[in-house]
Amino acid sequence: MSEGSADRPEPLTYDDWAAALHDDVLLGQSCQSCGAVSSVPAAACRDCGDRAFETIALPTSGEVVSETTIGVPPTGFPDRYQIAIVGLGGARVLGRVDGHVDIGDAVELSDVSVVDGDSAPVFAPVE
Amino acid sequence: MTNASIIGAGMTEFGVHESTLPELFADAALPALDDAGVGPPDVEAFYFGNAMCGLTSNDTHTAPKMAAHLGLDGIPCQRFEDACASSSTAFKHAVQAVESGTHDVVLVGGAEHTTAQTGMSTPEMTRVFGSAAHREYEQPVGMTFPAMFALLTKRHMARYGTTEEQLASVAVKNHYHGSMNPRAHFGREIDTDDVLESPLIADPFHLLDCCPFSDGASAVVVTSDEYADSFTDPVDVTGIGHANDIVPIAIKNQLTGTDAAIRAAEAAYADAGINPDDVDFAEVHDCFTGAEVMAVEALGFYEQGEGASAAADGETRLGGERPVNPSGGLKAKGHPIGATGTAQLVELTEQLRGDSGERQVAGADVGVAHNMGGDAASAVITVMEARP
Repeated sequence: MSEGSADRPEPLTYDDWAAALHDDVLLGQSCQSCGAVSSVPAAACRDCGDRAFETIALPTSGEVVSETTIGVPPTGFPDRYQIAIVGLGGARVLGRVDGHVDIGDAVELSDVSVVDGDSAPVFAPVE
Repeated sequence: MTNASIIGAGMTEFGVHESTLPELFADAALPALDDAGVGPPDVEAFYFGNAMCGLTSNDTHTAPKMAAHLGLDGIPCQRFEDACASSSTAFKHAVQAVESGTHDVVLVGGAEHTTAQTGMSTPEMTRVFGSAAHREYEQPVGMTFPAMFALLTKRHMARYGTTEEQLASVAVKNHYHGSMNPRAHFGREIDTDDVLESPLIADPFHLLDCCPFSDGASAVVVTSDEYADSFTDPVDVTGIGHANDIVPIAIKNQLTGTDAAIRAAEAAYADAGINPDDVDFAEVHDCFTGAEVMAVEALGFYEQGEGASAAADGETRLGGERPVNPSGGLKAKGHPIGATGTAQLVELTEQLRGDSGERQVAGADVGVAHNMGGDAASAVITVMEARP
């Protein structure tokens, strides 16, 4: 198990990840030991346990892996909306959908939604 | 091999209850203690499952409150919060406590209010349930609990050809079983059209693909298998497995199966020294119809991708090859979150004793309980066997 050290990059935080969404950037992490790529900042690699990551910009276009349209929302959300898991290179991201998509459709990062101060990526179909 | 036994079991009807949480829990715990034939002085520890009362009722530190109401004083009391798996993780710790010799008799159970009795609206309660979703990477997207299993089920449908009609057959079967369970929240039978024509919750799930919000409580009394000899009707706990899976959903290793349950099932079968073919019946976590499909696959009853035909072909119906959810499951019996795990064990206990009446599984010698929590991120699988 490796220890943190001064020559390693600063770990990616949620705040950095969320702020980048507002600049149309999806940040992720690449494990410096095994190369595993993830869309979600973590303190240690789930594949090898190493703690040294490189922060990377993920592709902003990809393909719908799964989706669902929600008809019973929690407070703060619209009456009906669609969410999707999107495959972006070697990573997957959960986001809201602007418009309608099916599994296999090509989508791109199009916006950021903010509900109760919390940011989430929004994807739209590629015309 | 796990060496513990259940010597007493009790539960309330699942549905709407106006009683307070301690009153509700007592309606399950006292029958469990009476069934075992033990009183408060015999109980050496108390483990309690509840997921939401801090959010619904401003009520925390609940284990000592339940204990005091039951006349339990001066013993270790602990609440477990693992979303829908809360009382089965509590049960696992009770089993380990009696196996290690730390305690001889442990009371374990759960109770929960989730209906409008909490004073919360459907959107508010949907948000409370959603608190078990990942705070940073799922909740802001608006992922609800039906949506989480919907995302997995949609992928299952795309990959394996699972259909909405096959999903509906799970609900039809479990309502049929629930019609024979006087404690079930929904005691009426439904047909496939009822399911497919009910309102959209999160596609492919319609209202009748989803378990209800329920109030209820359940409890069991656990002792070592050796000590159990001195009680009248013990049922043995021969294996337990407990595992997590990565969250949020987007970064799970797979999206067409539930790795937490697959891993927990392997561990439970190894602990019990059995394989899936030895299992006569199961109570599984059918919070949504698609969840039961993935449950019977995780338990090894069907290859991954083949579980959807199980209910449609009648194999998991009472009288079929291996009945699943003879109680009606979460779908028809109801789902008072923290009470669900031990309620499955109450059903296993009664079935293995041959006490289930109209819905008795013929030749029930080995039963399995499959309880999941959070975004398919916790699973506890328990193997129980009738005494020879």
